[in-house]
Amino acid sequence: MDQLAAIRETFFQECEEQLAELESGLLAMEAGATDSETINAVFRAVHSIKGGAGAFGLDELVRFAHGFETVLDEVRAGRLEPTPDALKVLLRAADVLADLVCSARDGGGSVETETSAAELSQLLGGEAGDAAAEDDWGDFEFQPLGAGQTAAAPSAKAWRVTFRPRADLYAKANESALLLRELRRLGEIEVSLDASNLPSLAELDPEAAYLAWTVILTTEREQSAIVEVFDFVDGDCDLSIEEIAEDHAESPIAPTDVGDLDIAALIAKAQSAAPDPGPEAPPTRDAPAARAPEPMTHAAAGATIRVDLERVDRLIDLVGELVINQAMLSQRVLEAGIARASGVAVGLDELEQLTREIQDSVMAIRAQPVKSVFQRMPRLAREVAALTGKQVRLVTEGEATEVDKTVIERLTDPLTHMIRNAIDHGLESPERREAAGKPAEGVVRLSAAHRSGRIVIEVADDGAGINRERVKQIAAERGLIAADAVLSDEETDNLIFMAGFSTASEVSDISGRGVGMDVVRRSIQALGGRISIASRPGKGSTFTMSLPLTLAVLDGMVVTVAGQTLVAPLTAIVETLQPKAADVHSLGGDARVIAVRDSYVPLIDVGQALGYRAAPLDAACGVALLIESEGGARAALLADEIQGQRQVVIKSLEANYRQVPGVAAATILGDGRVALILDIDTIVAVSRGADLARSERRRATAAG
Amino acid sequence: MSELHNGGAARELISFRVGAQEFCVDIMAVREIRGWTAATALPQSPSYVRGVINLRGAVLPIVDLAARLGFASAETTARHVIIVAQIGAQQVGLLVDAVSDILTVTDAMVQPTPEVASDTAKAFVRGLIALEGRMISLIGLDHVLPDDELEAA
Repeated sequence: MDQLAAIRETFFQECEEQLAELESGLLAMEAGATDSETINAVFRAVHSIKGGAGAFGLDELVRFAHGFETVLDEVRAGRLEPTPDALKVLLRAADVLADLVCSARDGGGSVETETSAAELSQLLGGEAGDAAAEDDWGDFEFQPLGAGQTAAAPSAKAWRVTFRPRADLYAKANESALLLRELRRLGEIEVSLDASNLPSLAELDPEAAYLAWTVILTTEREQSAIVEVFDFVDGDCDLSIEEIAEDHAESPIAPTDVGDLDIAALIAKAQSAAPDPGPEAPPTRDAPAARAPEPMTHAAAGATIRVDLERVDRLIDLVGELVINQAMLSQRVLEAGIARASGVAVGLDELEQLTREIQDSVMAIRAQPVKSVFQRMPRLAREVAALTGKQVRLVTEGEATEVDKTVIERLTDPLTHMIRNAIDHGLESPERREAAGKPAEGVVRLSAAHRSGRIVIEVADDGAGINRERVKQIAAERGLIAADAVLSDEETDNLIFMAGFSTASEVSDISGRGVGMDVVRRSIQALGGRISIASRPGKGSTFTMSLPLTLAVLDGMVVTVAGQTLVAPLTAIVETLQPKAADVHSLGGDARVIAVRDSYVPLIDVGQALGYRAAPLDAACGVALLIESEGGARAALLADEIQGQRQVVIKSLEANYRQVPGVAAATILGDGRVALILDIDTIVAVSRGADLARSERRRATAAG
Repeated sequence: MSELHNGGAARELISFRVGAQEFCVDIMAVREIRGWTAATALPQSPSYVRGVINLRGAVLPIVDLAARLGFASAETTARHVIIVAQIGAQQVGLLVDAVSDILTVTDAMVQPTPEVASDTAKAFVRGLIALEGRMISLIGLDHVLPDDELEAA
C-alpha cells in the first residue's frame, strides 16, 4: 500500500513537471514558436499525463487528456493551424487539466471540464470533434483525417509486433496486459504467447521476466501509433515492429489485390500530411533504433536524478560543519604562530579554497530556476484578467535565474499577491487606458536577475501608478500618519506596506482578501529580503524585491556587544559610523538620537536592547551601524566594536529551543562557539516600545 | 543484578549529582555526556537557561538543572558535566555537577513521590529510589525547557 502511495506521489510529481512543460510549450507557441520540438513536447506532456492517469484509473482525467491529446495530435500532424484563438483554447484546456490533476491528487471536488472539452471538439470540428468528446475513445474514429473513407479500408496493414518485456518493465509498475490491451484499441489483434523461457517452478525468480508475446495487428494507424503504445516501456523491453508484406491469413487485404489502392492511399496521405514520414518509413525497423533521435534529445534536456531533499539537506549541513571546522583549524594554526609561507599554512589555504568550492557546489544543488514559480503566473494573470475585464499581457524575463528551493517555494504567495495587485489595482480598464492614449492591453512584467550575490525580482506594470493623494488620505484616515504630515513621494508610496493599510473601499474578489502589501513585505523579510516600490504617475509602478540566494548562509558583520559576539545581517547595514559625543543627543527619558549628516536617527544600544547590560554604553566608546529597517526607516545600532565581515552558516535556534525575540538565528564561528544573528527589525521595534512589538507579533500570528 | 528480585521490567537509569542531591533519568533519553564548555548567553531567557553551545553543528540550549530545580546555581567549573538529553524532537543539554552511576531498577523499586509542598518537586520528580541508603529522585524532563509563550498564547 505504501509503495503504491509512493508511486502515486511520483506520478503527481511528474504530472506537475509535465503541466509546467505543457504550459511553457503552449506559451512558446503563442509567442510564435512553430518548431516540431515544442509541439512534440506539448503533445508528450499531455500524453504522459494520460498514460499515468490510466494506470491509476483516473478516468475523468484520462478522458479529458485524451480529447486534449487528440487536438494536439492534429496540430502536431500539421492538420490544425495553431491560431491565437486555438492556443487560447489549448491554454484553457491546460488549466483544466491542471485542475483535474489537483483534484485527483487531493481528492477535491469535481472539475468543470465540459466547456473546455466542447471548445476542444470545436477545434477539431464536425465528426472528429464528437469522437474526442465520446467516452469510448478506443474506436477507429480518429484516423488521420486525410485518409478519406474510401482510402481508409485499404490502408489497413498487418504488423508483427514482438514484445519481450524485461524485469525492469515490471519493476517500473508497467503491465504487459495493459500494453496488449492498448494495442487492441488500434485494431484487430491476434496474440500468441511465447512461454518457452519459463523455467521450472523451483528455478523461477518471481522478480524476473520470462514471457514474450507476438502480436499480429491489423490496423489503419501508422507505425508511430504502435510505437507510441510502447512509449513508456521504451528501453525496458525488446521490441520489434515489422510490417507483414506477404499475404497473411488474418489480413483482410492481400497486397497483390489492392496494390493500386494502396498507392492511391499513400498519395492521399502524402498530400494531406506531408510532414508525416510514416508511409515512407522502411517496412522493417527496430523500434528503439528508429526512435533514437527522440530519446537523445530527452537525455540532453534532462540528465537528472531525483534525490530526496533530506539527503541534500544533510549534505549541506555536513558542508556547513566542514566550513566551520576549516575556520577553526585556520584559527588554531594562526594561534600556534606558524609562518604564513610554511607548508602547513599553504596547505590550509588550499583547503579553504576547496571548502569554499564544495560549499558553493552543494548550495547549487538546492538552487533551482525561478521558472517553477514564474510558470504559475500566466494562468493567474489570465484568470485575474478575465475577472476584472482587463486586457493583460504578462511578460516574464530571467526565468532561468537560480535561487534556493526554499526561497522559491516561499516566493509563490507574495508573487501571486503582487501579480494580482498589479492587474487589479495597477492596470486601468481598457477604456481608461485608451482614453489615456495607451494601448488597451496592459503589460505586467515579471523579471528575475542576479545582482551582487542576491536575486532581484521585479513586478512592473504600465498602469496608472500609485495615486499618492488617495494613499495619503487613507493613511491619515487610518491614523497611520498625521493628517498634515509632509511626506516625500517615496515615503508616500511606502505607506502601502504599512500594517493596517488596506484599501477597504476598493475591496474586490481578487485582491481584497484582507491581506495587504504588509503581508507581502513580511513574507519577503522572513526570507531575509527587502521590497521597495517605485511609481510614476501615469506610467506604472515597479515593485523590486531583493532576496538572498540561499537561506543556509548569510553575509554578516561580526560585532562585539557587552562581551558577546553577535552577527548583524550585512544587507540591512547602510554604513558604519564612529559616533562623536557631540553628535549624540538625549531625547526624553533615556532615548538617544544621533546626527547623521544633518538628520537625526534613533540610537539603539544593542547590549541594552537584548538585556546584556542595564546601563547604556557611552556612544563615543563604541561604533554605530546605520541600518535601514522595515519601510526604509533608519536607525543606528550601537555596538562595542566591529570584528569584521564574514559569511556565516545559519543555524536554527528553534530546532532545539525556541524563537528568541531580537535574535533571527544562530551561527557557529571559527572558534567553535555559537554566535547569535540579530533580528534587526525586532530590535528596532522593541526599542520603540516592547508592547508594540508584542502586539504586532500577535497580529502576525493571528493573520498567518 | 542482585537487586532484581521483585519482578517487573528492569530498566536502566543514569544518576547524577546536583548540589547535595542525587537524581536520575532514563538512560534511553540520554544521547551523550560531555564536559562543560562556555555557553553563549541568550537574551530574554529564564535564568536557568545558561545559553547555547555548539554540539557538532547543532545549536544546543543548556539548562542549569540546579537553577531549574530551585537550588542556588553554583559557579561552573571544568568539572561540571553536560548530559545531552532527547526531549521529544529536541535535544537539550542539562548542566549537572557530576554523573555518578548507571542503575538497573525495576518498576517496583520506584516509590511514588510523597506529598510535599514544593512545586518543582511536583513538576519534575516522578518517583524516588532508595539504594544503599541513598535517596535518588527519578525526574521527568518534559518541562525543563520554558514553555513557548507564543504557543501558549
